[in-house]
Amino acid sequence: MPAASAIRVMVVDDQTSMRAMIRRTLQDLGFKDVRDKAGAAEALAAIKSDRVHLVISDYNMPDMDGLQFLEAVRADPVIGKTVFIMLTGSADREVVQKAAALGVNNYVVKPFAPAALKEKIERVFGELN
Amino acid sequence: MRRIPIVQGEHRVVAEPGVIISTLLGSCVAVCLQDPQARIGGMNHFLLAEPGEEVPPAGQQRYGIHAMELLINAMMQAGASRGRLRAHLYGGANIIAGLGRIGSSNAAFARQFMAAEGIEIGRCELEGTHARKVEFMPYEGRVRSTLVDRAPPLRALHAPGEAGGDVELF
Repeated sequence: MPAASAIRVMVVDDQTSMRAMIRRTLQDLGFKDVRDKAGAAEALAAIKSDRVHLVISDYNMPDMDGLQFLEAVRADPVIGKTVFIMLTGSADREVVQKAAALGVNNYVVKPFAPAALKEKIERVFGELN
Repeated sequence: MRRIPIVQGEHRVVAEPGVIISTLLGSCVAVCLQDPQARIGGMNHFLLAEPGEEVPPAGQQRYGIHAMELLINAMMQAGASRGRLRAHLYGGANIIAGLGRIGSSNAAFARQFMAAEGIEIGRCELEGTHARKVEFMPYEGRVRSTLVDRAPPLRALHAPGEAGGDVELF
């Protein structure tokens, strides 16, 4: 049973309000080390230099979208196995299928309740304490 | 002139001349976003909580943030630039005495969201005790609000998904 406080998280979303809300949700779930970035390119650079255990990334972002970000993470020999959970704006089957093909660990449809995010994280990491 | 009415929970984005997006607001809020350079505009119409409903502030934030994200994403997909967005805010009236200040909560969220996202506010006609009719011409960048006697009926909110989606791949 992993401790949420030991899991380092990178949250990536182009909306400040959404990043703040996800950060609060994770902190309520016991996560202590939560970083965030507004764009996938800067998040990619950040997690290459300082690795995290979990990436929670929006799909719909300008410049580099969530699928491109996922592909770049999976292609990297060092951070390629980082757990990646995608946030989608709707239950878009095509996006989710592409993400699955690229190796996403799970996905969450916005708007989501804290319990939904916790459940998706626990499906990957096991029950959190 | 083509008219597109929207109701609670909807949003529309338009990038052509001669189109009016309109809505009728009581305690709900409508945000009109425009990129004046790209001549793209859009409007949403949202409610964070129903009168008498016990929705914690964090839950209300989820509804509002999601509603705004849908509109902003649609604007950007149509070709708008996030850095050029300008917002006009309407609604958030406290019409029915004794049912709390739902309208003010909606209005406060809209103001706070724009501040957090760095979106400039243009016209701002929030709160008060009267329903409003809002007409927005996205391409031309013109917006008009008139006070009306009767507020539209509120529609039931959809709770945020507990399981998150209906595509079962995991």
